[in-house]
Amino acid sequence: MDVKEYIESGVIESYVLGLANIQEAAELQQLCKQYPEIQQAVTAFENSLEKTSVNNSLTPPSFVKENIFAALKDEFTEEKQATVIPFTPKRNWLQYTVAASVILLVISAGLNVYYFNKFNEANNNYLAILNEKISLNAKVEGTQAKMLDLYNSMQLMSDPSVVKVAMPGVKGRENNYTTVFWDSKTKDVYLLANKLSAAPAGKQYQLWALVDGKPVDAGLIADCNGLCHLKNIPKAQAFAITLENEGGSPSPHIDQMFVLGAVKLG
Amino acid sequence: MQVVKKYTEPELVQLLKQRSQNAYSYLYDNYSGALYAVIVNVVADNELANDVLQEVFIKIWKQIETYDESKGKLFTWMLNIARNASIDTLRSKSFNNNRQNKELTENDYSAAGVEQTVVDKIGLRKIVHQLKEEYRVLIELSYFQGFTQDEISRMIDVPLGTVKTRMRTALIQLRQIIS
Repeated sequence: MDVKEYIESGVIESYVLGLANIQEAAELQQLCKQYPEIQQAVTAFENSLEKTSVNNSLTPPSFVKENIFAALKDEFTEEKQATVIPFTPKRNWLQYTVAASVILLVISAGLNVYYFNKFNEANNNYLAILNEKISLNAKVEGTQAKMLDLYNSMQLMSDPSVVKVAMPGVKGRENNYTTVFWDSKTKDVYLLANKLSAAPAGKQYQLWALVDGKPVDAGLIADCNGLCHLKNIPKAQAFAITLENEGGSPSPHIDQMFVLGAVKLG
Repeated sequence: MQVVKKYTEPELVQLLKQRSQNAYSYLYDNYSGALYAVIVNVVADNELANDVLQEVFIKIWKQIETYDESKGKLFTWMLNIARNASIDTLRSKSFNNNRQNKELTENDYSAAGVEQTVVDKIGLRKIVHQLKEEYRVLIELSYFQGFTQDEISRMIDVPLGTVKTRMRTALIQLRQIIS
């Protein structure tokens, strides 16, 4: 770059007089480091400006100096008095601001706690209602399933192709009564436990089909909703229920027979 | 006013940064007149200039930590503080007088015109008066009134390029006068 041209461009004077823009000032500061001649030109103009300014000065009234030194009297280090933190308006303002901030912070913190508690309360109420709704829904679904089962049972019981086998209680167990519904088409067996004493712990009722004088396992009776869908029995002359150990037995204990009914084909 | 130097500039700056009252007093005694002259040049009101000078020396005291020797001499730094504070005061004074910006411009421009007062006969403004009219106006408006070259171009109805060229000539001539 042409240093001479730059020195004659007026940028140096602009910079020193505070007329240069930020870009020009930054560029000049950079160039001063690179080119000693530019730095020298800057310093020369600064010196001239200072000398001219001082030579053309105007003495201010003496009270100005007194005012300034009175305003700064606590800030000079040479006065060996104890350091007093000056209570200037600026600090005052700062203190009020800090105080106001602290008060606002306390109020804000209080409101936070208050609203947090409110929120928790509302949230707990909401959760309780939500739980209630979920359990109600479950109940409704259970009831609907039960109704559907009952409806299906009703349809099955009224089906003309289904044979109804009444099974009264045997001697000594007359208070028991069950009914088998035997689908003559599919040969599936359904049981309705009209009246059956609750099975003791570890025991379970088992249905048997008597086929040509021999008992055939027709299924275990668990907790059923309406009809219990048991096994498929192609052929039977009678049905009986015995109380067996849980899980059932390969052959019935006759002394534990509760109900018995013969198939009366229409 | 001939100044008898007591401190070198680096010594003075160091002592000021250490909050020395003697150094500050020395600074005031040696430079307040030069700064006061430029303040009066700008605000054209002695009462107001007293307040600005006080403000400027408080600023110098408060901001001495930010003074960076690598960017210029101490006096250059102080002169810029004084000029900026003066222009700020001039603007807020005009604002307080409820004058519209346009009126302010015309008013101040005419104040920069031929029939100037005592303000022209002191300080740097006296030096600037040695320039030819077309250059003098540019320094008046930019340095003493703080207008940008863009603003000046519109105020005096001269293309910006011409303003830049003339400004450059004005600054070089100013340098030649004072050196």
